[in-house]
Amino acid sequence: MKNDNLKLKKTFLIFFFVIYIFSLLIFNLSEANAQQVSLTISPPLLELFIKPGKSVLIAYNLENLGDPAILSTKVLPFVPQGNQGGIKIKEEFAGPIRFYLDNANLKLDDPFFLKTKDSQQLLLRIRVPEGTPNGDYYYTLLTETKHSKGTEGTTSSLAKATIGANILITVTESGQVDIKGKVAFFDVTSRYKLKLFGQIFNFIESTDKVPVVLILENQGKNLIKPQGEIDLLGNFGERAKFEILPQNILAESQRLTQATPSAEIDCNNNRKEQACLFPTSLVLSGFFLGKYRLSTSINFGEGTPNIFAYVTFYAMPLKFILAILSSITIVVFIVKRVRE
Amino acid sequence: MKSMKNQIKITFFFVIFIFSFLFFNLSDVVAINMDSSRYRIQFGNINIAGGNKTSENYKLADTLGQTAAGKFQSDGYIVKAGFQYIHSIIPFRFSISNIDINFGSLIASTPVTQTTTLTVYFGGAGEYQVTAIEEGPLRTLDDANNIPDTNCDGGEEDTCNEDWAKPWTLNSAYGFGYRTDGDDVPQAFATESSHFRPFPDRTSAEPPAVVMNSADVGKNRQSTFTFKINVSPIQTAGTYQTVINFVATPSF
Repeated sequence: MKNDNLKLKKTFLIFFFVIYIFSLLIFNLSEANAQQVSLTISPPLLELFIKPGKSVLIAYNLENLGDPAILSTKVLPFVPQGNQGGIKIKEEFAGPIRFYLDNANLKLDDPFFLKTKDSQQLLLRIRVPEGTPNGDYYYTLLTETKHSKGTEGTTSSLAKATIGANILITVTESGQVDIKGKVAFFDVTSRYKLKLFGQIFNFIESTDKVPVVLILENQGKNLIKPQGEIDLLGNFGERAKFEILPQNILAESQRLTQATPSAEIDCNNNRKEQACLFPTSLVLSGFFLGKYRLSTSINFGEGTPNIFAYVTFYAMPLKFILAILSSITIVVFIVKRVRE
Repeated sequence: MKSMKNQIKITFFFVIFIFSFLFFNLSDVVAINMDSSRYRIQFGNINIAGGNKTSENYKLADTLGQTAAGKFQSDGYIVKAGFQYIHSIIPFRFSISNIDINFGSLIASTPVTQTTTLTVYFGGAGEYQVTAIEEGPLRTLDDANNIPDTNCDGGEEDTCNEDWAKPWTLNSAYGFGYRTDGDDVPQAFATESSHFRPFPDRTSAEPPAVVMNSADVGKNRQSTFTFKINVSPIQTAGTYQTVINFVATPSF
């Protein structure tokens, strides 16, 4: 009897022990995660002024923050697209500039493995052969993942991730650069415009945000950077200055410039705001009353000529005026009715 | 006479009431923000050269400063890395949450959707963009059969293409397409949740489509990509695959 009890106790103990181990395993299994890709590259932009016959070595840092991945790098030319700094990468390599990886164990277009949280330094050698014509050449250093095969027997779409870093090269033998900038467009995108005697008058509601658009054009063969400001002068002598960011304007292209400080607008909740309908350089925020003059003065380096443009707008409390007129109309109507 | 005076008083106070209501409900006067969170200037330009130039050809000294120009003459090059005018505290980063979009076994006239999330961190001024292109249509491994790109619900009003998203709601509308939701997505998808469009096809020499872009400095900008597939009853049975190439590039 005593032995039977002991055996029973042992059986129960083993049983509970097994249950315990089983539970530990079940409730501590890590989630199954889909394969994810996350890459960082630095620096994202490189500007190089170089003589023909010279070469430079640039160290890029590529970091993998996602799952282990097989990657490869290549360099392709690009052209600017649109006027907001977008690019269109060409399908094939072209141009006289030569690119190599100086890494001992890496070459362009060759695959390499990068573990999670690991980084790889890419030593990019950029060589400009002798006799390369003066001018600008634009490229993107691309790092792409090698896609795995999909799951057997099922229809799938495999995503390949590619991250780029832009390289802007100005080749100049003598150190001369071609600077030909102009103001292509400078205006406020006001809701109300009136054309009178051949002139356009911009009207703004006093409490509205004022979107300003400044587009510069580079008619030369080398990239240029604008330097200057947008100046707001009000009716009562109040003044505000906004510095134009010296963003690159590539050869023979236009760019919508940005000025700072600029007001922010939440376009997700204010889709009908003028500043949300079009890309803008600057948004003015405040209470405006009367005539305002916006002027801009820009040059492309010390010693280069200044270019100017200006636009005026008129601010009135249109909503307030409308409300007062409506109130007076209602009052007059009521008084008339009462008299009758 | 007395009632007339009373009426005028009532009218006068009514006008004052309306006036006050409107005046004190105008939106707040906001001072122009002199310390924007969008940009923090790290350092100004480095131009120091002077003198007027009449020629349109300028020396690098004029645009980069004498020091940099001197280095150019001695070394033969000048390198500038990063966005020079911005203290970029956000590196350029691109992530895809799931790269294996598995539709499983497909049933005719039964649409299937799967999602993945694209994330971008961009710290420079100017427009970042993410483009997408398919490396050929969904096709069997032997290339014998493919699932065509979607035309959405079709007809004069509802035929989509690589540039235009249209409603895709009919179970009798077949093909493969996508839509995006979230940050910095094309306007075509922002207002209509039933709109889809096909991927541009590299094998047909179609240019990549921009699927995310913004000119603002951004951290953790996310868009959810929804892939949709619907096969016709006459689609040949098999395993179909394609590769969608997402390319993320910063501005210049």
